[in-house]
Amino acid sequence: MDAKLVNPFIDAFMTVMPQIGFPTPKRTKVYLQDKNATSLGVVVMVGFTKQMRGNVVYNMNEDTAKFIASTMMMGMPVAEFDAMAQSAISEMSNMLSANAATNLTQMELEVDISTPSLTIGEGFSIKISESQYLTVEMDLGGHKIDIAIAVDRNV
Amino acid sequence: MEKVKVMIVDDSKVSRAILSNHLSKTNFEVVAMAKDAAEALELYKEHNPELVTMDMNLPDADGIECSRRIKAIDPDAKIVMISAMKDANLVAQGTAVGIGAFLQKPVSTNDIIDTLMMMCQQKVSRIAVLRESYGKAFVRALRQGLLRIIDLKVEPELELYDKKYLEVNGIAVIIGLTGSPSGRAIMYMTKETMKGFAAKMMGTDEVTDDEANDAVEETANIIVGRGVSNVNDVFKDKEMRITPPGTICGAGIRVASPKLTTFKITAATDFGDICINVGFAEGD
Repeated sequence: MDAKLVNPFIDAFMTVMPQIGFPTPKRTKVYLQDKNATSLGVVVMVGFTKQMRGNVVYNMNEDTAKFIASTMMMGMPVAEFDAMAQSAISEMSNMLSANAATNLTQMELEVDISTPSLTIGEGFSIKISESQYLTVEMDLGGHKIDIAIAVDRNV
Repeated sequence: MEKVKVMIVDDSKVSRAILSNHLSKTNFEVVAMAKDAAEALELYKEHNPELVTMDMNLPDADGIECSRRIKAIDPDAKIVMISAMKDANLVAQGTAVGIGAFLQKPVSTNDIIDTLMMMCQQKVSRIAVLRESYGKAFVRALRQGLLRIIDLKVEPELELYDKKYLEVNGIAVIIGLTGSPSGRAIMYMTKETMKGFAAKMMGTDEVTDDEANDAVEETANIIVGRGVSNVNDVFKDKEMRITPPGTICGAGIRVASPKLTTFKITAATDFGDICINVGFAEGD
C-alpha cells in the first residue's frame, strides 16, 4: 500500500483527539504488518470506498476504551463497557474516519466511509488485507490505540 | 407485514405506469388507478386506500377539486400531489383543501417512498420500510447467491434483530455499506458450518482453514454486493456501495451495533445456519 495514505489518518488523530478531551496524543510506532491483527479487547472497523478502498481498524483494550469513553463524557465514571461507552467509542471512530476522509479530499481522493462496526472480545483474529498493511501505534496519556490501515487507491 | 394500499389518480397512462412501477418493489401496494376525478371518487369508496397520489390535470376537474371531494367523503384521507407544475399558489390552494405533500414530476422512487412514508408514519414505521425494501433485498441475495455458488436451494428467513449483541463463534465477514442509509452487513457462521460450506463450494473435503476463510469471505462479498445491487435497483438515486470485507475469527466475539436497526437473515443448511446480519444507521 501507499504509505502516503497513512498521514491523513495520523493527522486526523492528532486533530480530533485534543477536541474530545485528550490534549497530547502521541504517535509512538509505525510498522508494517503482513499477518492478521489480534483483538486487544475492543475493535472498531470502518470501511472506505470510492477513490480509495479498504479498511481501518481501531484496536484497544477494554480499559482504554472505558478511559476514552469516560473522558469523552466529561469524566463521567465508566465502570462497565456498556451501551453508552460503546456508543462513545463508535462515535470517536466515526469522527476520526470522517476527519481522515476530509484530509484525503485534499489529496484529491474522494471517499465514502461506512458505519463503524464495534466488536468486543479478546484475542480474536482480524483480517483486513490480503497483503501488507501499516499499523500506527498511538498513545493517549499512557493508553495505547493501534490503528491498522489497509487502504489502496482505486483510481 | 401488511402492505399499505395506495390509489394513483392521473390522466396519463404512462404516468400511472411509472408510479405503479416505482411502488411495485416496495411495501406500498397500488390497489386502484383512476384516470379522472369521477373514477377517483368511485374507486376511493370501493378500495378505501390509505394513501392517494394526485395529478393536477384531470379531464373532468383539477387535482385540487378532486382532493376536496375525496376529503368530503373521508376527512382523514392522505393525499400527495404529484404534478408537472409546483408553485407557491398551487401549494397554498392544495394545503387549504388538506393535501399533505407536493412532489414535482418526474419523481424519483426515493422521493416518493420517503414522502409516502412520512405521510403514513403511524402505519408504516421506518422499520417496516427497512425490512421490506432493504432487508428483503438481502434475503433475495442470499437465496440467489447460495443457489449460484453451491447449487443449494434455501428459503432464508428474515427477522428484526433487537438483541444488544450479535454473538459470533467461528467466522464473521464484515462489509461496510456506504450511501443512504449507511450501515454494515455481517455474514457469519460457526467453524463447522464454514468447513462444510467450503467443502461444498470447492468440491473437496480437503480444505485448509485459510481456504475455508477465503471461501466464506468471497461468498460474503458476492452476496452482500448482490444485496446492494438489489437495493440500488429499487432506489436508483441512493447509490449504495460496499467496502472491502474485513474478517474476524474466534470464539465469544460480540458485535455491538449502537444506533443501527438490524435484521437477521438465516439460511438453514445441512451443514448449519448461514446468517447475515444487516444493519442500517438511524437518522439517515
